Amino acid sequence: MLWVGLHLPLLSLESFAATLPPEQAVQPLALMDAHRIVSANACAQTLGVQAGQKRATALSLAPQLLLGQADERRDLAALTSVAHAALAFTPAVSLSLPATVLLEVQASLRYFGGREPLLEKLRAALAPLGHQLQCVSAPTAQGAALLSRVQDDLHCAGRSALQQALEAAPLWLLAAGHEHAQALQGMGLHSVGDARRLPRAGLARRFGPGLLDELDCALGDRPDPREPVVLPPAFHSQLELFARADTTEQLLYGAQVLLARLVAWLSAQHAFVCRFSLLMKHEPRWSGAGPKADALRCPLPKGSKKTWGGPAFSWGAESPWVSELEIALAEPSRDATHMLALLRERLGALQLPAPTLELALQSSDISRRPPPNAELFPTPQSEHAGLTRLIERLQARLGREQVQRLMPLADHRPERATAVQPVEPLWLRTREAAALRREQGCSPTPGTAITRPLWLLPQALALQERNSRPLLEGRALQLLAGPERIEAGWWDGSLAERDYFIAQTVEGALVWLYRGRLPLPAGGAGWYLQGRFA
Amino acid sequence: MDALHDPALPLVPPLRADRPRLPPLLPETLHPSLWRAHQLGRSADHALPSGFSLLDAQLPGGGWPRRVLTELLLPHPGIGEIRLLAASLATIQRAGRLVMMFDPPAAVSAPALAELGLDVEQLLVIHTHLQLRPGADRLWALEQALKSGHVGAVVAWLPARLRCERVRRLQLAAHAHDGPAFVLREVAAQVQASAAPLRLALHPAGADQLALRLLKRRGPPLLAPLHLALPPVLSAAALRRAQAGDDASQLPLRAATFINLA
Repeated sequence: MLWVGLHLPLLSLESFAATLPPEQAVQPLALMDAHRIVSANACAQTLGVQAGQKRATALSLAPQLLLGQADERRDLAALTSVAHAALAFTPAVSLSLPATVLLEVQASLRYFGGREPLLEKLRAALAPLGHQLQCVSAPTAQGAALLSRVQDDLHCAGRSALQQALEAAPLWLLAAGHEHAQALQGMGLHSVGDARRLPRAGLARRFGPGLLDELDCALGDRPDPREPVVLPPAFHSQLELFARADTTEQLLYGAQVLLARLVAWLSAQHAFVCRFSLLMKHEPRWSGAGPKADALRCPLPKGSKKTWGGPAFSWGAESPWVSELEIALAEPSRDATHMLALLRERLGALQLPAPTLELALQSSDISRRPPPNAELFPTPQSEHAGLTRLIERLQARLGREQVQRLMPLADHRPERATAVQPVEPLWLRTREAAALRREQGCSPTPGTAITRPLWLLPQALALQERNSRPLLEGRALQLLAGPERIEAGWWDGSLAERDYFIAQTVEGALVWLYRGRLPLPAGGAGWYLQGRFA
Repeated sequence: MDALHDPALPLVPPLRADRPRLPPLLPETLHPSLWRAHQLGRSADHALPSGFSLLDAQLPGGGWPRRVLTELLLPHPGIGEIRLLAASLATIQRAGRLVMMFDPPAAVSAPALAELGLDVEQLLVIHTHLQLRPGADRLWALEQALKSGHVGAVVAWLPARLRCERVRRLQLAAHAHDGPAFVLREVAAQVQASAAPLRLALHPAGADQLALRLLKRRGPPLLAPLHLALPPVLSAAALRRAQAGDDASQLPLRAATFINLA
C-alpha cells in the first residue's frame, strides 16, 4: 500500500477567494467564524491580522480587510473537486476532513511510471483548481494524512521511515492530542515520539483510548478502513458570489472555477461533456413585471429547486429568479479554455435581468471515448478538431444561422438553385466522407464553361430602358449573349418565364439580366438585373 | 534581375590571392526575407500559384503569398475578382482544406461556384453584419479564422473605411494562417496606408479581361497595369461581338485598348 496525502493548507481561504473577482482576491482577506478570525491570507498577515483575533481588532489593524464567513460546505465542495481530479489516478480516493485528500496509488504506480511522475502529473491535474498543496506519501493512510499537514514533498518508503517521521511530528497533529494539548504540554510531551515512549496503559487511562488508536492507525498496527469517494452520476456544482455581479464579465470568474470543477469531474471518469448549463440566480426585484422572457427560460418550476441542494439556498415562496444558459458542444470536449471561450461569447450576448448572486453549473450529458492522441505535427485530425472549435466559436458569437454552407439544388430558377443551411456539427465529418468519395473518382467534373453569375442580387433589380436597350446606372448595356430561356416553376406557384442575356457594362464588367416574357404585365418593367459575373 | 552581373553591386574581394575564389556574398543569399530593391521579394513559405503566369511572374515568391494579407481593391463587386482567385482557391480545396468567405457582397450561387471549379462542400459563408455590433464582430470573426490556422484560405470583404491598426491586427493574426488571406475592399481604400504587404487594384478591362495594378509588393514598383484574360464567360462569337460593339459606340479609348491587346 502506498498512500498519498494531499493537504490543502489554505483551502478555506482559497475557496473564499474563488467567489471574488481576481483583483479583490489579492487584497487582504480573512475568514471569520463566530466573530473571531479563523484564517487570514499572507497579505493580511503582514498587516498583523492573525487567527483568534476579534473582528474589531482585525479591522483596526487593516481597515481595508475583506472579511468573509467561513463556510464548511463551500470548503467541502472545493475539496470534493480535488478528490474528483485525483480519481483520474486511482479509484481509491478518500477524504480526510477538513482539508486532506488521500489516494491509494500502489496499483497505479506502474501505469504512470513510478511515484515521482505520478505526483508530477497529479500536481499538474490539480493546478487548474488553484490550490496550494502539501504532498506526502507513506505506507499508511493515517500516517500520510498526518504528515501532509506539517510537511511537503516527503516520501516514507517503509514502516520504519514512517515511524521515524511520525515520532518527530508534533503531538497536536493527533485529534486527541489537540484536545488534551495543555495537559500533554504540562507533562512535557511535545512530539509523537515522546508519547510513544510512555507506557500504553497509563496513556490510555489518562487521555482515553482515542490517542493510542490514532497512533496505531498511523503506524499501521491497526486496520484503518477508509470510505472511498464515489463519483456522482451527474455534475452539479454551485458558487455563491461574494459580491453580486452586475455584468456578465464578472460572472466569468466564477464560471471559470466551476468549469475547472467540471473538468475534474470529467477527467475522473475519462469522459467528455456534450452539453452543460450555467444557472444564474439573480437578485429578486419587485419593480418589474417579471424577468425578460426572451433572455430567460425562467422561472424554474418549483420541483427543480432540489437540484440546487442544501438548505443554505433558501428559495422563498416568491418565484426564484434563475436564468439558464445552455451550451451544447459540437464535439464533446474536456478543454476548460475552450468551454470558457464559448461561455464568454454566449454571456456577452446575454442581457442579465438583475444582478447575479449565485452561479451553478450542471451537466449530465457526457460521452465516454478514448482521449485524442497528442500530435507533434498538424494532422487532418487536429485540423478537423480545430475547425470544429472555430465554427463553434463563430456560431456562439454570431448566431448559428450566420455560419452557412451552400448546396446546389436541381432548379433552373437561379434564385432557387442554391440552398443555404447553417453548419451542423456533423457537417465536417460528412465533408470528409465527401472528400473521400471525390478521391475515389465519383465527383462532378469541375471547371466546365461558366454560364451562371456568382453574385446574385437578393432581389432582381428593375432596369430602365432607352431605345429598347436596358440601362444600368444611366448607361446603356451591350447585350452580348442570349437569349437563354428559363421557364420553370409552374408546379409550385412561382412561375418564372424569362429570357436571360449576358451583357457588358460600359467599363467592361459582365452582368446577367433577363427580360420577362411578352406580353409584359401591366406596369412591369421589361428588364431586370439579376446577377454579376465575378 | 541577375544580381551577379550588376555593375553597381559591391563585390567582396577575396582576402588573399592564393585562396580559392569564393562566390561573392550577396545579401539575398543570407536570409529569405532579404532582397535588393530591384529584385522581387521572396518568402520562406512557398507561394500559391495564381493560375495566371503573367501575374505569377510579378508576384513576390511567384504566386499568392501565404501567412500574410493580400488586399484587392475593386470599384464594385462583380468584375471578375473570383475568377481571378478561383484557380488558387480550387487548389486549396483539392488539398482537402476549407475556404471561408466572410460577408460576400451578394448571395452566392452554388451552380456558379461549381462552374468556377470550386467545391461547395469545402466552402463556408459567414455573415457577420446581421448582428447588433456590426464592426466589432466582422473583424473578430476574421481574426479568429486567421488565428486558428486550420482554414485553408480566407476571402473577406471589408469596408473601405477601416482604421489602419485594425488591418495591422489582421495582418499579425494572418501569421498563423497557412494559406492565402484575401481582403477585398473598395478602391477608395487605396489612399489609406495598409499593413498588407501585397496590394492590388483591380479594374475591368473589357469582356473577360481584368486589369491589375500592383500598388504595393515586396519588390520594385510596377507601373504598367497587367492585363489578364480571365476564364471566359463569353463564347468566341460573343467576344467578337463585344469588341465590335465597342467600336460601334463612341469610345475610341476603349477601342485602342483592345487593339493593343490584339
